[in-house]
Amino acid sequence: MKRIRGFGAVAVAGAVALALTGCQQGSSSGGSESGEGDAVTLQFQSLSDQPATQEAVKTIVDKWNADNDDVQVEIVQAGWDGTYDKLITQFAGGTAPDIIHYEASSIASFASDGYLADLTDYIDADLKSDISEGVWDSVTRDGEIIAYPSTLQSYMVFANADLLEAAGVEVPSGDTMTWEELQEIAKATTTGGNYGLGWGLASPTATMMSLALGYDGGFFDGEGTEASIEVGDAELAVPELIHEMAYTDKSIEPTSLTQSGSDVLASFYGGKVAMTVQGSYQAANIAKDAPEGFNWVALPPLEGSAGAIQAANPQTYSVNIDSEHVEESAEFLNFFMNGENLASIAYADALIPSSDSARAEVETMAADEPAWTQVLASGNGLEGPPFLKVEKYAEWKDTVATPAYQQYLADQITSEELSAQLSDGWTDING
Amino acid sequence: MSTATKTRREAKEDPRPVKRAGHRVRAQRREAIVLVIPALLPILIFSVIPLVSGVALGFTDATLARNAEINFIGLGNFIELFGDHRFWGSFGIGIVWAGAVALLTLIAAMGLALLLNSDLRLKGLTRVLALIPWAMPPVVIAIVWRMIYNPNSGPLNGVLESFGIPGVNWLGDFSTALPAVIVVGVWAGIPQTTVLLLAGMQSISAEQHEAAAVDGAGAFRRFWHITLPGLRPIIFAVTALDFIWQFNSFGLIYVLTEGGPGGRTMIPPLFTYLEAFRNREIGYASAMGDVLVIAILLILSLYLVNQFRQTKEARS
Repeated sequence: MKRIRGFGAVAVAGAVALALTGCQQGSSSGGSESGEGDAVTLQFQSLSDQPATQEAVKTIVDKWNADNDDVQVEIVQAGWDGTYDKLITQFAGGTAPDIIHYEASSIASFASDGYLADLTDYIDADLKSDISEGVWDSVTRDGEIIAYPSTLQSYMVFANADLLEAAGVEVPSGDTMTWEELQEIAKATTTGGNYGLGWGLASPTATMMSLALGYDGGFFDGEGTEASIEVGDAELAVPELIHEMAYTDKSIEPTSLTQSGSDVLASFYGGKVAMTVQGSYQAANIAKDAPEGFNWVALPPLEGSAGAIQAANPQTYSVNIDSEHVEESAEFLNFFMNGENLASIAYADALIPSSDSARAEVETMAADEPAWTQVLASGNGLEGPPFLKVEKYAEWKDTVATPAYQQYLADQITSEELSAQLSDGWTDING
Repeated sequence: MSTATKTRREAKEDPRPVKRAGHRVRAQRREAIVLVIPALLPILIFSVIPLVSGVALGFTDATLARNAEINFIGLGNFIELFGDHRFWGSFGIGIVWAGAVALLTLIAAMGLALLLNSDLRLKGLTRVLALIPWAMPPVVIAIVWRMIYNPNSGPLNGVLESFGIPGVNWLGDFSTALPAVIVVGVWAGIPQTTVLLLAGMQSISAEQHEAAAVDGAGAFRRFWHITLPGLRPIIFAVTALDFIWQFNSFGLIYVLTEGGPGGRTMIPPLFTYLEAFRNREIGYASAMGDVLVIAILLILSLYLVNQFRQTKEARS
């Protein structure tokens, strides 16, 4: 009998030991153990998924690896879809990479959960002064800079020049374009089975939050968990206008409102819609994928009552607080973010670089591309939005705002109900 | 069976001294324990411990923050959950989804099983073909169906439009999203149910059918009075299992709609997932999981009790 008990004890002990070593492997900081000699290997989780950008990132990393034998960087390629869920499991399981690519509004909740290293003391002084205070502010939490802001996206209107011409509409050429102009062009180009505008609003919140700034619609007041919400006329201006275009003017293709931006591009190429609103990065895709002879233009930035303002929500590069090599990671990022490197990434992605030197570089690189003029022009109106400072924004966005906007854009609820859902939902979440 | 062996053993051991018999039984028990341990350990480590800790998390305020402090808060989560109308809305959608899929699967699978059971040519080939959806992972099924439902370039709308019917935005429209998702659930669930029903049909003896046919019963009456009563325990088990599986399914709907549009297909597992991995409130999410398990047990026990009562009545 004793022997049997002993056997049982050994078996249990063995299993427990197995389980524990399993945990241990998981909690080592993202495979950043030192390799041969003293060389340090940093894991760099990059989300840049367009082929040209991947190439640009790889070139920069290769250059760094060639010059720095003691600090080697290894790219871990990931995609934008599902990154939030992936990161949260990686952090909770202790397997997050050293260097993390993401965007300011979503990284905020990881910062408040304490997973991101304070980079304030590591940032290169030249780089610090090269990027505007407003953009640095978008990645600052409680006085700590928790990420390097790299490139920014704006929403742009792309138009099929031939369809505009056929409808007798002149391509707008001013510095900006008002929403009323957009509405008129959309009405004029809606003919037969074709619509004036296709707008992929399957995930509408980010777009709505950004464009609301053009009407001075900030939604949130205050910071952290103290923030309060106000959904008034300014916040509702853009959704109401889209609603009017879709259901009164019938100039927006109704199906497109439930699709993703890239799904709508297919209708745009096929000539089913004359215009489409997309993230500026789609300029790179349109240039690459559009059928031969497709005559497209980027229209001037959209202007609301408060100006052509959109939210500055930069892509970010952060460092895992549990990484054994925070300093080396920051050094690499200082290199990664220098004017030349950042410009090559921004150019490949058709995004606006955060630093002035990179911006100047992109201007010379893209001097003869008309679409780029508009992309850079839209960059002038980017302002730090209040929601970046709100701790539970990501939560509110996914569980409250997205379904509410979807219902409003599908004409299931009125704008009063939309407003009520957005503010009541915030009260529920923020407690 | 166990009672039978026990009584036989008792009868044999009766004349012997009680003490020795007790000793032998104990030795046998020990042997049994040694044999069971290797099988029990993995179950304990990989099922029971995670399950128990998951249930326990529901009584805490655990979050996914770094070095989060976990405090026991008793029934706090459950009280909050009780007033959470979004959760109960999603619960209602889950019942509609699981109930509809389980019932429709049963009806469709019954038809298919009857067809496969009849003596058709190429029987072997058709039986294999009917299994194909089973061989596909849910994510692949969902991606294929998303293409079929695509409002602009999908074959479904293509066929409708060629008949002059305007296309429907299947997964994007508020009124069609849930039915469209249910159709996919049924399609994916049919093979399993069919195979089980087919096996049941083949265990019903052909003589009964022949006898009924001689007595002049038509195909429908034979189905109603012979096949259906014979299949009853299988139908009950399959439907109950389908209901549980579908209520807990995740991948299919996550890929098809992600709970959209406007939360119209937000079944409870998706809702719980969002709470755990978007809102990072794993304590609250675990409480949701606990409630779901209890709810399913309650629904099923109602069904079970009813079934047992009926079989008892049928026997007596």
